[in-house]
Formats: sequence, C-alpha cells, structure tokens
Amino acid sequence: MSTTALPAQIARVPGVAIALIALCIVFVLTSPGFATPPNIANVLTQSTILLLLALPMTLIIMTEGLDLSIGAVLTFASIILAITAVSTGSLALAFAAALAVGLCFGFLNGALIAVFDIPPFITTLGTLGIAQGLSLVVTDGQSVVGIPRSIETIYSGTAAGIPLPIILAALAYAVTHALLYHTRFGAYVFALGGNREALKVAGISVRGMLIRVYVFGGLMAGFAALLMTARLNSAHPTAGIGMEFDAIAAIAVGGTSFERGNGWLLGTLLGVITVGVLRNGLNLLAIPSSVQVACVGGLVIAALFIDGLRGEQ
Amino acid sequence: MTVSPLFELRGVCKDFPGVKALDNVSFEINAGEVHMLVGENGAGKSTLMKILCGAYRADEGTFFQNGEQVRIDSPADARKFGIAVIFQEFTLVPYLDIAQNIFLGREFPNRVPGLIDRRRIHAEAKRVLDLIGFHIDPRTPVHKLGVAQQQMVEIAKALSQDARILVMDEPTAALSDRETELLFAMIERLKKKGVAIIYISHRLSEVFALGDRITVLRDGRKIGSLLPAETTPDQLVTQMVGRPVDATYTRPSRPTPGEVVLEVKNLSGPSGFSDVNLTVRAGEIVGLCGLVGSGRTEVARAIFGADHVSTGEIRLNGKRISASAEDSVRRGMALIPENRKAQGLALARSIGDNIVLVGLRKLFPSGIFAPRRAIKAARAVIDKLRIATPSPRRPVATLSGGNQQKVVVGKWLNADAKFYIFDEPTRGIDVGAKAEIFRLLDGLVHNGAAILMISSEQIEIVHICDRAYVMRSGRIAGELKHHELTEANIVRLGIHQ
Repeated sequence: MSTTALPAQIARVPGVAIALIALCIVFVLTSPGFATPPNIANVLTQSTILLLLALPMTLIIMTEGLDLSIGAVLTFASIILAITAVSTGSLALAFAAALAVGLCFGFLNGALIAVFDIPPFITTLGTLGIAQGLSLVVTDGQSVVGIPRSIETIYSGTAAGIPLPIILAALAYAVTHALLYHTRFGAYVFALGGNREALKVAGISVRGMLIRVYVFGGLMAGFAALLMTARLNSAHPTAGIGMEFDAIAAIAVGGTSFERGNGWLLGTLLGVITVGVLRNGLNLLAIPSSVQVACVGGLVIAALFIDGLRGEQ
Repeated sequence: MTVSPLFELRGVCKDFPGVKALDNVSFEINAGEVHMLVGENGAGKSTLMKILCGAYRADEGTFFQNGEQVRIDSPADARKFGIAVIFQEFTLVPYLDIAQNIFLGREFPNRVPGLIDRRRIHAEAKRVLDLIGFHIDPRTPVHKLGVAQQQMVEIAKALSQDARILVMDEPTAALSDRETELLFAMIERLKKKGVAIIYISHRLSEVFALGDRITVLRDGRKIGSLLPAETTPDQLVTQMVGRPVDATYTRPSRPTPGEVVLEVKNLSGPSGFSDVNLTVRAGEIVGLCGLVGSGRTEVARAIFGADHVSTGEIRLNGKRISASAEDSVRRGMALIPENRKAQGLALARSIGDNIVLVGLRKLFPSGIFAPRRAIKAARAVIDKLRIATPSPRRPVATLSGGNQQKVVVGKWLNADAKFYIFDEPTRGIDVGAKAEIFRLLDGLVHNGAAILMISSEQIEIVHICDRAYVMRSGRIAGELKHHELTEANIVRLGIHQ
C-alpha cells in the first residue's frame, strides 16, 4: 500500500528523474567545475559506452534474463579489433572482427540459455570467464598498441559541433527504441518476460526470439568495443571489467523491473546518465573509484527505494 | 432432414500410459449454443478440450465441420476451424497494451519495412472490442486490468482470429458476482452472433443458468447429454459421480455444542471491517457469508492474526490472544486459506513435506529433522484423508485440485488445532472431493473442534453449518440460527439496501 504524502503530480515522476535532479543539485553546489559546458559534454560522452551496453541489457532483463558477460565480451572484442587493425591496417575489417566476436558470444549465450535451458546467470557467468580468459591469453596480459591514429577521431571527433560518440549513441538509442516499440521483435521481447505461453499460442518460436535478444547484446558489445578502443587508442585486457555492473545498475535505477517484462527504455537512458553524473561528480570531488562503486550501489538502492515508497511495481 | 452441427467429434479415444483418458466420446456443438461440459476432476474434460484445440492428438475418432470430415493435427488446424480456448491461465503479456495483445504474432506491417503499424493495430482492436461490447481504450496496458477485464481481452483475441467456437475453462472461477454477471451478458451477446460456446464448469448454478445443453463425462466416458429444463441438480450430480449423492452433502446430526472456543468482540481493522462480534463453540460449524468484498476473508485473517486489528478483542478458550499468527498457531488455531496455490502450499515440495510443515515443532521437539518419522506422519494423514497418491514423496503439484485441498487441510491435522477457519474450502474442486472435505469438517467437529467456514456458495453454508453470520460492507449484518438458515435469508441479509 502506498502511503504517499507527496502531491499526486510529483508522485508520478519516476524515481530515476528525482535521483538525477538531486545528484545534479548536490554537485552544482559542491563542485564549481560541474555545471560547465565542457564537463556536461564530457559526462555525456563518457556515458556513451555504458549506454551501448545498457540498451540491449534492458531487453535481456525484460526477458527475465541477464548478461553478465557483456563487459568481458566488450573487452575481448576490443582486443580482436586492435589486433586486426594493427595487423591489417584496416579499421573497417577490424570493426567487422569486433562485431563478429560479439555475434559469436551473443549466439553462444542465447543458444545455451534457449536451447539447453541453462539459467542466464550461470550461462553468462561462464561466458564472462571465457571472454575474460581469452583476452588475457591472447594479449598475455599486455595492452595492444599501434592502432592507426585515425581511430581516435571516432571518439574525439565532432560533427556539427556534437561529439561523434554522442551521435552514435543517440543513433543506437533510436534504433533500440524502434526495435522495442515498433517491431514484432519488440512485442515478443515483452512477451518473453511477461508470458511465454502467449508466444507459444501465437505460433512464435520462444527459443529463436531468446537467441536473437542475446545476439543483439553481443553485437552491441562489439559496437561498444569500437568506442572503447578509440577512446583508449589501444586495447586493454581489463578495460571492460565491471561494466556489466554499471549497466545493470543503470537499468535498475531506470525503473526496469526484473520481472514480467516490465521494461522502460527511456528510464535506462536516464539511469545511464545518472550513473555517469554520479561518477563524474565524484571524480571532480577527487573520490577514489573504489568508493565510486559503492556509491553506484547506493544509488541503485536509493532509486528503487524512492519507487518503492510510492508503491510502484 | 436435420442440419449438421457446426462441429462434431465422433468416437474419440485417447490413452495415456496407464489411463484411458477418453473412451469413445462423441460431442457436438451448434452455432449460437452454450454447451456445458461437466464432470469430476479427471473425468476427461481437459483432455477433450486439448484434443479440440490441437494440443493433443486423438488416438481414434473422427471430426466433422458442418458435416464434412476434417482433421485436427495441430493448434493451427484448430484455429483454421475457428476453435479458440480461453484457458484459466491467461496468455496475455502484462506490459503490452490491449491491442498489441489481441494481435500478438499477427501484427500489421507498416509501410516502413520491418516496423509494425501500431495505429492500425489499435483501430482493429477497437473494432473487435466494440463488437463484444467491451468499451475500453485499447492502449491500456494489460497489467492495469483486473481478472475479468483480462478475460474480456482473451475473448476479444479469440474473436479477432475469427473464432466461431469458444471453449471456456471455468471462466467464473476467479470472478466476483458482479463480474460474473457481465461475463454472462457477453456470452448472451456472443450467442446471438452465432458463436458456439463450450463451457466447462463446476458450479451447478451456472450450468443451469447458462447452458442450452449439458454433457456429462465420467472416467473418460460420456455419461449423457441432458437438457437443463428436463434435469434437476440432483440428477445431474448423480450422473457426474455415478452414485446418488445429495446435491452437495447432508449434515448428520451433531451433538449440542460445548464451550465457547472463539469469541470476537467489537473487532475493527484497517483492511475494511468494523465492530464485528461473533462466537464459535466446540463441536459446531459456523458459516461466515456475504458477497465477495463484504469483508469475510479480512475478518478471518484478522482473527488468525495475519492482518492488523485496530480495536476489539479476540479470545480463544477464554484467553485473550495477541493477534499474531505465531501466537494463534501455538494456541491451536488453524487457517486454511482461500488461494491454496499462493498461500497454502509449497507446490514444488513433496506432499509429505507440505503435510508435516505445520507440525514440525511437535513432531521434532529436538529441532532435528527425522525423515522417516516425517514420512510416517505424512502417511497417516494421507490414509486418513484418502489423498490419492502412491507416495508422500511425490510433488504436491502432481495432485488434482481436490487432493491438493486435502493436503492443505491435512497439514493442520498434525498441529492438533482446536479452532479452524476454512476460507472457501471447496473452490475449484469437484463434487466428489467436496463431499469428502465436508466429511472431514464433520469429523473435526465430532472430535470437539470448532470451525468457522467462509463460502460463496450459499447452498453449502445451508447444508453444512449449524448457524451462520452474514456480512455486508465490513459489518455483521445478522446471525442466522439453524432454523433460519436458508439461501433466501443469506441473500436478503447480504445484499446492499
């Protein structure tokens, strides 16, 4: 039962928006560098990689699934991308290789979950280990350097004054939005989490749809690997460690429930920005990154607490 | 010269390992007809329904549509012949809207390749909803709808696929009286449009109120087809169970009630009841009735200590109790809840585990679980209640509804309760199992227990209870002593004035 003292208007604002506004107010008051145009552009640019992972993860979570491997797959794709770029000199080929890595891992996840009925948590914990292990084996624990300089422009370039990563992320958001809300596939994602029996009676393959959802996750991890490699101008075997944590946190903050296919894509976007703002603000306050992880955890609980207070399911 | 029926099954047989689920069953349905399908649990109703919708294939038998022989080998075939089933578990997606649910898997394509035409989906959905007289915005997400509305969406979904034969499996099981009326009105509308309805029910009242024809199945065989106008409820029940039984059960004489076991004084609570006074004596069964939503269940839960109480007092054997469920159980109170799947049973666990759950403290005072002693205690209960299972180690989910209900009751036998609250003990179970539950209740009061029983079926209250309290809008509207206890009096007291 909701025992809200808040006026009805405010009560309808989602917890993530309240959390975002509250955080902005705190950082505006505590750090003078926060509300400057370059810093705002910085926050958004830095959020793009996380967004690329959080978008497909939202769909995966809507199917009552999970992809713990997404950060490790990003890392491995980034390493294959760098190695291909160094050895062939072709960025296009390198990007294709990264997408192929994502596709393979996505398909592996999907097939294990849908066909062999292994729980998503276990499946993707396993593929996390595989992708992370392969990254270390292939690189011998070292960074891959010597990528053609032109790759940097993908992360640092601008078009019409807007940073390229932001444009790419906006594009990815638009595509995912269309996919979720305006295609058959999207309707089936809602059904995968909400009522699989509904798909069966409609004559749609539950397995096929589940595999596609995880393949989408893998491909987006491959795409994110391009931005990550461009950002670092190299590939590190530990670059993506813990990104699945931030992605899942952002989705939870954004109000997507882990049950019954109750997802909200705009909430994920806001959640990603909220996590980005939190990390940026803590950076400005010179708070170590280990403490930042704890703060992201606290943010998740706070946002869900706000939603829970107002009796939202 | 006779017109051939809309759809006909002849000589259908279906074997499962060890069971003949259907034995030479024939069945026909005409356009604009409501054909009631009745029978005890396990009579073969579900199997027949699943053969009709293509989920199972018949071992033997032929099908005719408008007199022409056809085959049903898959759900797609059934759909082709316009057969749609409304299952008790809905096949709706909670976070899609009504329109998207109606057209799930059949979305209209947009001019932009790959995208769907949401506008057209909504317009078409509106058309179908208007057709059945369900006026609601098709953009409403399904999770915001109540059970009755979701059922309407299921019906709309079936009709949008050109269903001409609707199979409904106990559609009123989860509906309130008001919602049931709305459903019946819709069924009348569908009949006028020529839709044929196969209606499976355990409620005799609706079988007679709604049915144009009644087919009775027992042990996989068709016992007969009856016309409601020419049949009495007793005759129907006799056909269902195969031996003459009184419509539900007749109460044997009971000794004069003993001491007051439960006394409730001026009880009010935030869940919507106020100033409730009632007493239950040892050796008597007292009914608590009233319309759905009148506060019956809330009062029962408050007495048990599962819900909060704001004022008033509850005394068990003269001692005031503190209104916590833990305290109630320790003092010998038992609540057998209405929703056995959600509240009364651990479905994935074994029958034995469920039975010993309540009596754990008594069975194993040292705190150490002894599997053999548990199985022995469970077997005793299984024998006593005649629960149909080969072993206490089988999962509870494998039992039929009636036997599951016996397990819910059985687990309290180990606790040696003195006072029982039964909330809708016969919901969704067949006539034979009902009679056994009632015999069990009777056995309990003979051994000196006191029982408070909630039921929506007034006839049951009249037949089982020694007296009854009728609730209305959260208050006790009146008490009916034994000689006043009639269906008419219950309705009179329960209805809003």
